[in-house]
Amino acid sequence: MLLHSYVLEAGTTPISYFPIVLQLIMALVFVGGVMIATHLLGPKRKGSDKLENFECGIQSQGNARQPMAINYFLTAILFVLFDVEVIFFYPYAVNFKILGWAGFWEMVLFVAFFFAGFFYIIRKGALNWRD
Amino acid sequence: MNEIVFTAVFGVFLLFSGLFIRSKNAIRFIAITGMGLAFLVNGWEYFHPGNDWPGGMIHADHVSILFNAIALGCTLVYFLLSGKDFEQLGEHLAEYFALVYFILCGVGIASSFTSLLMLFLAIEIISIPQYILAGSQKSNLKSNEASLKYFLMGAFSTGFLLMGIALLYGSTGTFHIGEMNLGGSGIDPLVLTGILFLIVGLTFKVGGAPFHFWTPDVYDGAPSVVTSFMATVVKAAGFIAFLRLFSIAFSADNITAHWTLVIALIAAATLLVGNFTAVFQVSVKRMLAYSSISQAGFMILALVGLGTLAWDGILLYAAAYSLATIGAFAVLIRMEDYTYEGYRGLGKKQPLVALANTVFLLSLTGIPATAGFMAKYFVLSSALQRGGMLWLVILALCCAAVSAYYYFRLIWAMYFQEGEPAILPDRITPAFKGLLIFTALLVVAIGVYPGLVLNWLP
Amino acid sequence: MPISNYIFLSLALFCIGVMGVLIRRNAIIIFMCIELMLNAVNLMLVAFSKFHHDASAQVFVFFIMVVAAAEVSVGLAIIVMVYRQLHSVDVGVMNRLKH
Repeated sequence: MLLHSYVLEAGTTPISYFPIVLQLIMALVFVGGVMIATHLLGPKRKGSDKLENFECGIQSQGNARQPMAINYFLTAILFVLFDVEVIFFYPYAVNFKILGWAGFWEMVLFVAFFFAGFFYIIRKGALNWRD
Repeated sequence: MNEIVFTAVFGVFLLFSGLFIRSKNAIRFIAITGMGLAFLVNGWEYFHPGNDWPGGMIHADHVSILFNAIALGCTLVYFLLSGKDFEQLGEHLAEYFALVYFILCGVGIASSFTSLLMLFLAIEIISIPQYILAGSQKSNLKSNEASLKYFLMGAFSTGFLLMGIALLYGSTGTFHIGEMNLGGSGIDPLVLTGILFLIVGLTFKVGGAPFHFWTPDVYDGAPSVVTSFMATVVKAAGFIAFLRLFSIAFSADNITAHWTLVIALIAAATLLVGNFTAVFQVSVKRMLAYSSISQAGFMILALVGLGTLAWDGILLYAAAYSLATIGAFAVLIRMEDYTYEGYRGLGKKQPLVALANTVFLLSLTGIPATAGFMAKYFVLSSALQRGGMLWLVILALCCAAVSAYYYFRLIWAMYFQEGEPAILPDRITPAFKGLLIFTALLVVAIGVYPGLVLNWLP
Repeated sequence: MPISNYIFLSLALFCIGVMGVLIRRNAIIIFMCIELMLNAVNLMLVAFSKFHHDASAQVFVFFIMVVAAAEVSVGLAIIVMVYRQLHSVDVGVMNRLKH
């Protein structure tokens, strides 16, 4: 298959999970430490203004949970599609030397289909913000 | 393999032609021409076998190519009969046709896969465009609901299918269905669980009981043009994939001993549920939806049989059932009233349409001299070949007798009940009538001379 | 670690997903549970891939992810469409097809 099996030959002893545990501890210590530090070091004020939602300094208006323009959904959905398709570059990135020019042309074909989809979206007007 | 590449590329081509061509007639013409070309390209491969797909994940043998030809031929008939009705779905005409092409690409993979990866991709390529097509009437609540239901159920069954594949891989270490070597002495419980999951997933997809409950709702809610395709070519493709997987990977004797009874029970349940619920329907569209469940029950019988007769049977069934249902739906789309009452007096008002519709219904019942009879005959005899399945065959024959009731009720309404048919007369063109009669003749021709299909098998 | 642990973990995740689909009534939650089922399969495939020293299962996982993304985009579009019509994504509200 595409990936050669030597990629998977790393050991599986419990000790090989140590770096992950270390990173986990570091992350917890850092996050916890910073939170405690800001609590101790920062100035404290109490009042009604303090409890208001903060929206870049402007007075907040209305509820945030109201219908949004459909364009946001469309853009988000298209983003998910294009974002995940890129996953096929990973096997190629690992093996691009072994696959040689044949693999290169196959990737060019893949990207060409990709751009065909992109061109279609633009022509269809899916990315226009104003109707 | 030609068919897969052609339909995929032509689908993209249609998407783009939709951007630049405004004329609806031109787009329909392109779509129909493309289907004819696809049929020829696929036929060319029959006589000049090409190279296999790199990686050996797809192997198109003569059976696959014959099934592709049946699927493409039925879709061509479908486009010619109902192509005009695609315009009612919405404004994106080229996209609807393109989605049908993408489904056919999946059908091509389903008929020729050799790897479980390709099976998964085939089923998904077939399913995802259908979710969109089912919901294509955006302002119609029933269409929306059908689409959401179909999507949730389809994705749910995909989960089961994938779990089955993962368990099989865990035991055998390969996705290649020819290299699994399950015929050894000891059987891994992972394999049995995997087969069970695969049965659940695939039964969901083809709408067999006890996983049929989405079928009537979705077929009823989706626009009739779309239902006509979903219930025929797509369903047949699901069975081809099912049979291909089971006859290649799980046909060793000690494995069949474990799953044959399960499949036989599923077939029996599907036949009973489909037929006895269809009897009580008032809407013809919903009756056809339940009848598609009962026809699925007959196709599952081929899985019980698993031999050359089973392949003969399922290919004949695919052709007979698809042609007859596409024809019956083409008439249904032109009715204003989908109940039995709407068909009253059709025999007097539109004798040719009523005659063709009668032939389709007779074929669905399985009356001799129609394609449906031959298909049922081959499927039942393949099930008989397997010992101990006599009870199932007798049950199937009883169910066929029950099915005569609801099909003949429609024929009765057309010919023997007085009334004004709720048909839209301006949509019955001479060309439509001619095509409908041609389709009916095709159904009769296959029934009289099944070699029309079967002689192409090696 | 023995392979059975991975099998139990992914089967447990799978069952949680199945139960979620069967019990919950919100279309989005149901959809999330389906994604959980798919990811349980992904986990199992990766574990088996390591077990068999065969990378083809990992490529399979890529395909599952991509197909799941395609399903997400179509599914979310359908859910948004239904929401615009019904102002609800509760599958219990949808009963127009039951006669």
